Amino acid sequence: MSDVRTVDARGQACPQPVILTRKALAEGGFALLEVVVDDASSRENVVRFASYAHCVVEKVEEEGAVSRILIRPLAMDVAEPARVFARPGPSAPEFPAAKTETVFISAGGIGGGDEHLAGLLMRAFLYTLTEAETLPVRIILMNGGVRLAVEGSESLINLARLAERGVEILACGTCLEFYQLKDALAVGRVSNMYEIAGLLLQGTTLHV
Amino acid sequence: MEYIAAFASSHAALRAEQACKAEALPVELIPLPSQIRGDCGFCLLLDGGGEAETEPRLQRLRDCGAVALYRVRVDQAGPSSRKVKSYERC
Repeated sequence: MSDVRTVDARGQACPQPVILTRKALAEGGFALLEVVVDDASSRENVVRFASYAHCVVEKVEEEGAVSRILIRPLAMDVAEPARVFARPGPSAPEFPAAKTETVFISAGGIGGGDEHLAGLLMRAFLYTLTEAETLPVRIILMNGGVRLAVEGSESLINLARLAERGVEILACGTCLEFYQLKDALAVGRVSNMYEIAGLLLQGTTLHV
Repeated sequence: MEYIAAFASSHAALRAEQACKAEALPVELIPLPSQIRGDCGFCLLLDGGGEAETEPRLQRLRDCGAVALYRVRVDQAGPSSRKVKSYERC
């Protein structure tokens, strides 16, 4: 296996640089792939594509208009190449991003299978929300969901991060009272059914 | 500097989280970034701490079964100047 293969995509119009990168990754036979482009949008598309394709971008060197992108394909448990490229790439049709106004959480976990897994999935979901480019306006917590926002919750840190970024956190007062947690709310504020119902009816709601 | 510790399975990541938390190691269980592996899974995000603290913390993660460790790089990229994370194997 050679160490570095170079794909010279200078002078190639989009999406050719991504297509050439994809072709080289499918062929394999190298430890590192260097892709050379000469415009900013090709550079960004190749970097983005490398992430989709289970690669690590080792570095990007820029010299004037020319960029050299060094990509390392990861050998760790990568599925067959067909699956790697199954996701839409930068040249796929763009669908308008759905804007979620309210995320409605009515349980402490996601899904009805193993309870421990459900809790882990909720932690994971809230973490990934903190990394999202577009955030919801608010998160509404009801029933078991209110437990996420009380002292000692493992999801508290992520709800706090979201609150710092301007996401409103509302916890149902009835539910907090039922669970005797009203004094334990550690992020957001107490709300009520009238306000919650009104907010759920306006804008788009994602029920997790 | 933050690091990602990847494990052979999500169960291994969970066991490692418990072990690390018992020793007050600053780790957080998070979803495995898709740049490292496309299918779902959990990994540990480690705060590397000061220079002298990093290597002992990384070694502890190896002792807990980490199969790969990655340095988290945060770059400002793209026309919207959005921060982009990439992962460099260490």
